[in-house]
Amino acid sequence: MRRRLHPAASFVFAALILLFTGGPVLLSLYGSLVPDRILFSRDRSILTEGPNFETYRYIFTGQLPDSYQQESANRAMISDAARQVPQSLVNSSLNALAAMALNLILGAPAAFVFARYIFPGKKLSFMYLILSPLVPAVALVTPIYMMLQWFGLLGTQLGIILVHTAKALPFTVLILSVFFRKIPAEIFEAAVLDHCSRFQTFFRIALPLALPSVGATGLFAFMISYSEYMFAMVLSGNAQTRPVSVVMAALARNTDVSWSLLNAGIFIAIVPTLVLVVLVWRFVVEGLLGGAVKG
Amino acid sequence: MWTINRFPAIWLIPALLPVVLMTLYPVGYALWTSLHEVMILFPGEPFVGLENYRRVVASNYFQDALRNSLVFTALAAPSVVVIGTLIALFLQHGFFGSQVVRSVVLLPWVLPGAISAVLWVWVFHPSFGMLNGVLRSLGLIDAPIHWLTNPDTALTVVAIAHVWTQIPFAVVLMMAALSTINSETLEAASIDCPNPFKRFRYVIVPEIKSMIVVLLVYNALTAFTSYDLVYAMTGGGPGTATTLLSFQIWRESFSMYDFGAGSAVAFIVVVISAVLIVAITRALPSDLFASE
Repeated sequence: MRRRLHPAASFVFAALILLFTGGPVLLSLYGSLVPDRILFSRDRSILTEGPNFETYRYIFTGQLPDSYQQESANRAMISDAARQVPQSLVNSSLNALAAMALNLILGAPAAFVFARYIFPGKKLSFMYLILSPLVPAVALVTPIYMMLQWFGLLGTQLGIILVHTAKALPFTVLILSVFFRKIPAEIFEAAVLDHCSRFQTFFRIALPLALPSVGATGLFAFMISYSEYMFAMVLSGNAQTRPVSVVMAALARNTDVSWSLLNAGIFIAIVPTLVLVVLVWRFVVEGLLGGAVKG
Repeated sequence: MWTINRFPAIWLIPALLPVVLMTLYPVGYALWTSLHEVMILFPGEPFVGLENYRRVVASNYFQDALRNSLVFTALAAPSVVVIGTLIALFLQHGFFGSQVVRSVVLLPWVLPGAISAVLWVWVFHPSFGMLNGVLRSLGLIDAPIHWLTNPDTALTVVAIAHVWTQIPFAVVLMMAALSTINSETLEAASIDCPNPFKRFRYVIVPEIKSMIVVLLVYNALTAFTSYDLVYAMTGGGPGTATTLLSFQIWRESFSMYDFGAGSAVAFIVVVISAVLIVAITRALPSDLFASE
């Protein structure tokens, strides 16, 4: 696969991919840098006015944008909810890290036995895991709410983490077992000949060999938790512990919020994602692909 | 593949317990509710058998929602798999700037549905959306197109936004699957078979078949039960043009306070999802569910 594509063809294809995946995000960056009155006008743009950072200043310091004070500002409304964005990013990241760690600790052993062993009850338990995400989240909201209330976990980070962990676990187990299956059987046979116990085979052979895949799967759990909305909305507590999906949804549905403030909120919420995305490539996907890809 | 004589509980309970806890009781509760008349406004919860199901299926809202959900799934799931596979095949090649492209592709992954929704509402906005702006400056249209408020285009538009959010996961998993293909096999194939399309069909596809099935099943399910993105973009409108089954559950339960009917819709969704999974795994046999 080291063969190079025709430069022009790869340029066009790369441009299309960038436009489709990154375009909407760039638009949001642009929207956050111009006040609404310029956004809506035909003859003025960022080129004539220059970038404007007032909405960002408002979110981080609470100082009102100058355009807010002016007359005839179209939809130049601000909302306190935008100021919750930075804290909500921290909340969501912590939740997602915890859900990711729990997923790997709980899911990897199960994926390993599913991939390498035949045992009574295998089909039933595997099918249960695979079929459980079928149940639409909307149908589970009411009973899970009642269950967490019963355990006293309502409005706590722990409650959200546990629900997100359970939500991601079936996928973690399924994907990891695909990866564990890819390890050649000869390696495991050699381990048996060397009298490795099942625990030793798992910890010394399967886990190290599949480590990049385990990392990638963990990030999948991270992302399920980070972007999950419905349970986060129903189960989250006060403004200090609210995750980013809930804060952004409230902001997006509020038609009084100005476009530039909304876009600034979006872009701030995207920045940690950008960092994460670069890290994922550097340390997970490149490793996963085993040096097969050269930049 | 070795045999263990008894159920390996130590290995499986940690993963099974949270999942069972979060599904068994709620599903039991929902099943019970779907067979009873449970309305907040009326006291008592009498057993009504299949009455909730009969009432729900007969409603026009449900029929619209079912049709929309099926069309939405049929549009979105195959698109994600095809586009994801194409991008993954392309990104395997090194080229100038490939690092940047690989990172940008992952971007939509972590954005909560509400954020993606706002981004795409903006792209398709009739008066200051980018798409109408481009079409206008190219002279292709005279009047702005109301993408999201036109019943003919709205469902396609939300499906495009949905596909956008699901692409990164498909790309990463597909690249992982492609990277496990033996490089000697590929080199031999590129010598024996100069036609790249045939090579893809007969050398690469068999190797990534189980990943294709995984992605198709996963995406059929996410599309069929999708909620937040579409809801934040259109609220189910115009009319019922983008009302999906998941909104119907929400509407029956939380705006009509008819929890019995809501649970009945939820059960119908579960059954249809199961049929989808079986259909996909039957249509594309792979070793994924085989015991060896």
